[in-house]
Amino acid sequence: MPSAVDAVQLRGIGKRFPGVVANHDVDVTIRPGTVHALIGENGAGKSTLMKILYGVQRPDDGTIAIEGEQVVLKSPTEAIEVGVGMVFQHFMLADNLTVLENMVLGAEKLHGIGDGARTEIRRISDRFGFDLDPDVLVERLGVAARQRLEIAKVLYRGARIIILDEPTAVLVPQEVDALFENLRELTSAGNSVLFISHKLDEVLAIADDITVMRRGTTVGTADPATATKQELAELMVGSELPSPETEESTVTDTVQLSLSDVTLTDEFGRNLLSDLSLTIRRGEVLGIAGVEGNGQAELVETIMGMRIPTAGRIMLGDEDVTHWHTRRLREAGIGYIPEDRHRHGLLLDAPLWENRILGHQTRPPSSKGMFINRRGARKDTERIVADYDVRAPGIDTPSRALSGGNQQKLIVGREMSGDPVLLIASHPTRGVDVGAQAAIWDHIKRARRAGLAVLLISADLDELIGLSDTIQVILRGRFVGTFDPAKVTPQDLGTAMTGGAA
Amino acid sequence: MATLALAGCGGGSDSEGGGGDKPAASDDVCKTADGDGPKIGLAYDVGGRGDQSFNDSAYAGMEKAVSDFDATCIEGEATDGEAESAREDRLRNMAESGATAIVGVGFAYSESVNAVAPDFPEVNFAVIDGFDPDDTANDNVAYLGFAEEQGSFLVGVAAAEKSQSGTIGFVGGVNNELIQKFEAGYTAGAKAAKPDIKVEVQYIQESDLSGFGDPAGGKAAATGEFDKGADVVYHAAGGSGSGVFDAAVEAGEGNWAIGVDSDQYLTATAEQKPFILTSMLKRVDTATYNFAKSIDEGKPLVSYTVYDLKQDGVGYSSANESAITDLTTSIDEYKAKIISGEITVPTKP
Amino acid sequence: MTGRLKSVALALLAPAIAIVLSILVTTLVIAAVGSSPGEFWSTMFEVPKPRLRVDIVNQTAMIYIAAVAAAIGFRMGLFNIGLEGQYTIASFAAASFAGAAYLGGFANVIASLAVAMLVGAAWSGIAGLLKTTRGVSEVISTIMLNAIAVTLVGYFLNNYGVKEGNTVHTKNLEPSSTLGGFSPFEDRDGEIWALSIVALLLGIGFWVLLNKTRFGFDLRASGQSESAALASGINPKRMILISMMLSGAVAGLIWMPALFGGARNYGTSFQVGLGFLGIAVALLGRNRPVGMLFGALLFAFLSVKSNDLTFGTDVSPSIVQITQGVAVLAVVVTYEVVRRWRTRLEQRAVSRELTGTTAGATS
Repeated sequence: MPSAVDAVQLRGIGKRFPGVVANHDVDVTIRPGTVHALIGENGAGKSTLMKILYGVQRPDDGTIAIEGEQVVLKSPTEAIEVGVGMVFQHFMLADNLTVLENMVLGAEKLHGIGDGARTEIRRISDRFGFDLDPDVLVERLGVAARQRLEIAKVLYRGARIIILDEPTAVLVPQEVDALFENLRELTSAGNSVLFISHKLDEVLAIADDITVMRRGTTVGTADPATATKQELAELMVGSELPSPETEESTVTDTVQLSLSDVTLTDEFGRNLLSDLSLTIRRGEVLGIAGVEGNGQAELVETIMGMRIPTAGRIMLGDEDVTHWHTRRLREAGIGYIPEDRHRHGLLLDAPLWENRILGHQTRPPSSKGMFINRRGARKDTERIVADYDVRAPGIDTPSRALSGGNQQKLIVGREMSGDPVLLIASHPTRGVDVGAQAAIWDHIKRARRAGLAVLLISADLDELIGLSDTIQVILRGRFVGTFDPAKVTPQDLGTAMTGGAA
Repeated sequence: MATLALAGCGGGSDSEGGGGDKPAASDDVCKTADGDGPKIGLAYDVGGRGDQSFNDSAYAGMEKAVSDFDATCIEGEATDGEAESAREDRLRNMAESGATAIVGVGFAYSESVNAVAPDFPEVNFAVIDGFDPDDTANDNVAYLGFAEEQGSFLVGVAAAEKSQSGTIGFVGGVNNELIQKFEAGYTAGAKAAKPDIKVEVQYIQESDLSGFGDPAGGKAAATGEFDKGADVVYHAAGGSGSGVFDAAVEAGEGNWAIGVDSDQYLTATAEQKPFILTSMLKRVDTATYNFAKSIDEGKPLVSYTVYDLKQDGVGYSSANESAITDLTTSIDEYKAKIISGEITVPTKP
Repeated sequence: MTGRLKSVALALLAPAIAIVLSILVTTLVIAAVGSSPGEFWSTMFEVPKPRLRVDIVNQTAMIYIAAVAAAIGFRMGLFNIGLEGQYTIASFAAASFAGAAYLGGFANVIASLAVAMLVGAAWSGIAGLLKTTRGVSEVISTIMLNAIAVTLVGYFLNNYGVKEGNTVHTKNLEPSSTLGGFSPFEDRDGEIWALSIVALLLGIGFWVLLNKTRFGFDLRASGQSESAALASGINPKRMILISMMLSGAVAGLIWMPALFGGARNYGTSFQVGLGFLGIAVALLGRNRPVGMLFGALLFAFLSVKSNDLTFGTDVSPSIVQITQGVAVLAVVVTYEVVRRWRTRLEQRAVSRELTGTTAGATS
């Protein structure tokens, strides 16, 4: 349905940033009343582009036209004024306020803060099937409802073009379907949606148009009616798409890690982890599935000795390590790929070779007695850079300068060195490009064949199913189901993750 | 740097907060004097010229000496938190530039004079409020002290006689031996004039020298005493004194404050002036002048000299005439008794 | 090789800009109050007299020790603003111990240094404990401990000190326990204090500790990212306590060169303010051993030379405090600017590298 005026026209957008891949020659056209998917690996320039469209950053080159009008957006406020709204991945809601209060916060002038606003909220909610009660406290809403509230907020402020940044990352499969229903309602009312994602199935399911980005620029468009996943992926990475595939089982009989009835209580006496028991054998990958925030981080920190369990016992091989501190556990051969590499995995301003030492301060080749072995650490860093294909000008480069994928490969290389007996991998491929993802999967599989026990926590169900020998689902700090990855479907896992019948 | 200012109260226990602008350089007698008399070196304590107290008083004595003895002079100023070696260097600079009479203003110069004096036997040194820190006597150093208790006795008399309520107050900067001398003399004077007088005593700090530079603390202490019924408060608290004056202003008519070291009536704000009954004078100018005089006469002062009432080394001010006029006869009687030895003023409370 | 040269040039850029800026600001201030900047700078840049050269060396040593103490905290991400209190109470304790002469001669010196370090460490350890057990910010607690230290020392001096004239001080050292120093010029020009060597040793020790030891690595890692340090197995509370105490122990040594070099007792000749100078110099020298050496030298030079101003010019010697302050501020600001610029250069280098290699890899 060709329309007289495009909702959004981006022409020749360029943005230069210190070093990182920015945007150049970006062209995107969003037709009114459509869902337009913008896909690309992490670091392809999607976030920069949407920040430009939302007025957070100003482009160095190019033009933006909204509904036919050329605009210069200096701030999100100005973006909202011309009808562009954005829903971030991390919600910006005040838990202790009601839906109504969150909605009118900062937009009091539109419909007041009383019945006028309430009526408007009801109208939006009913029109698009958001199912929002204006007087409910936000803290009582689930993730999906919060997301709908964020979208409603944007609509309330008069947006007709809605940017959604990876909206499905926080949702289980059933919720994704519901979201897509809402989006269809939105577009049928004439709104346009810019849908940012790297999940190709979803993109194919919802989008009317697809634009692919790579290395900071738009490399092509695709028609979802005819395009295949494989084609899209090839456009994204410029090569064939890898996928994790479980190989023959290498599980042995030797138990490497076992938790029995581990409970962790916070300072208010609430259980963060309740009676968790698990065993991982040598050569086994145990996957933990769950919606984020259900105890995964606490579980990892407890095994890593950053938190001490309130009750229960943790055994590493034959040793009771329940009360061991992190350093001792690392010395005993636990490798750790943390969830947030910037906060927990790297010293961003330190050179690569110093980052090689981090977490391995007490072990060769990083140290000799009380002293740092500079030569040994440098030499081993060279090895990691070569073996793990870390792309950097040299080992004296600060790790901050590396892209996410290369940072992660450095971490994986580091944590695999020194022959670990157990690897705790928390979202090991989150936010890394497809090439790095494949490489990291390969490294995990190879180590597993060599007898490494792996605890894998991931939000990517494909990754979990592809790599794990067993999958445990965690919900509110408890294990609620055990699955065989050979037989399970993402739908089954989704049901268990949200508390449906296992 | 603001941080350095925090540290700077080391040397100047007696120095006044002051706040007056530094006099223009052209006012400085050392720029113009070109006589052929002795050359006087004046090493100031922190604050330097323009402090309206200690240092300015020393300058006044020197200025008089310059004109009386056709002398020339050279000055040097201390900075906050300076090293011991900086004081020594200042004194050496003066000696090397030909000064024959060098005065260190403030006891902080005791050590440095002791170190420098032996290297310049032909030069005579003096330290205001100073002492000889070792067992070897220096035959070219004079230590010029003051009988602060005698001056305090006189203002104690003034306070007691002025008081209507029968209660007076004392605010000390720091509870140390030196300031206790002020307290002892003041109390003794007050009791001599009115045996049943009540004296409220407050120290701003137990030991920290910041008590001499804390107007807010001075005000709090004095306000407390006014609240307890005192109607005259004497301070020996250096720069904290302005807070004591403010407290008197707030306490209102019929309440008084007494200044210290220099005639603070002359340097107080217009608002404070009517409340300043008198000040206990410590005649640093006299001490400086006398030292210069002794050099000029060829009989240099050495060892300890205490300036007391007899030598006009301490005293009281009658600048606020209307307030003090009625009391001067009585105060002067006590002064005569102290000079004659009839009254001995205690130095410890 | 050119890369290395370039990085050295970049490292020198910030301090160079800072010094130019501080000279500029000082000149403007002097001109604004109607004095002659020319007179000021010619006096300041005149070659110092021999005795001033000696003073500069001695002051540099003490300021440098203070800077090392501050830098230990800074590298760990702690702001030990309590150096002043730590070296005050440690100097008093060491002077009292040395004056009591339990030991004779050199043994007394060594034992007194140990006392100074222990007391300094204990005093800063209070702040460390408060931070690790109660979460009290070390900035707040050390400022309060400064006040407490000064009051406490005053109390002990008043009650147990030796009274002399209007002052009190600790018991004088026995002559056998004074170390004196070495006179590079004539005797009357003074001595470079024997214990100034402590500054040099501390500088070397600091460099080795930081760059060569596991502990130093842990310290720097904690300073750069507490969360990454924790995940790497460093116990953050233990690190806070140890580095705080180490900083205090070094702070305890600040005034020791003067005590055994000529002061003989803790009294009027105790020099206050060195702790704050040390913090400023640590900032100026970016917590690097060599950088701080130049910073300490600069500050000592300015302070010592400022005494000449009082004779030759109308300018108050206090003006150099403005020069010092501006230098620190300017160095902090320009360093941050230069750092960002440098990061940009590095990231460009990485992008270049990537476009270079991937052209081959993807084909």
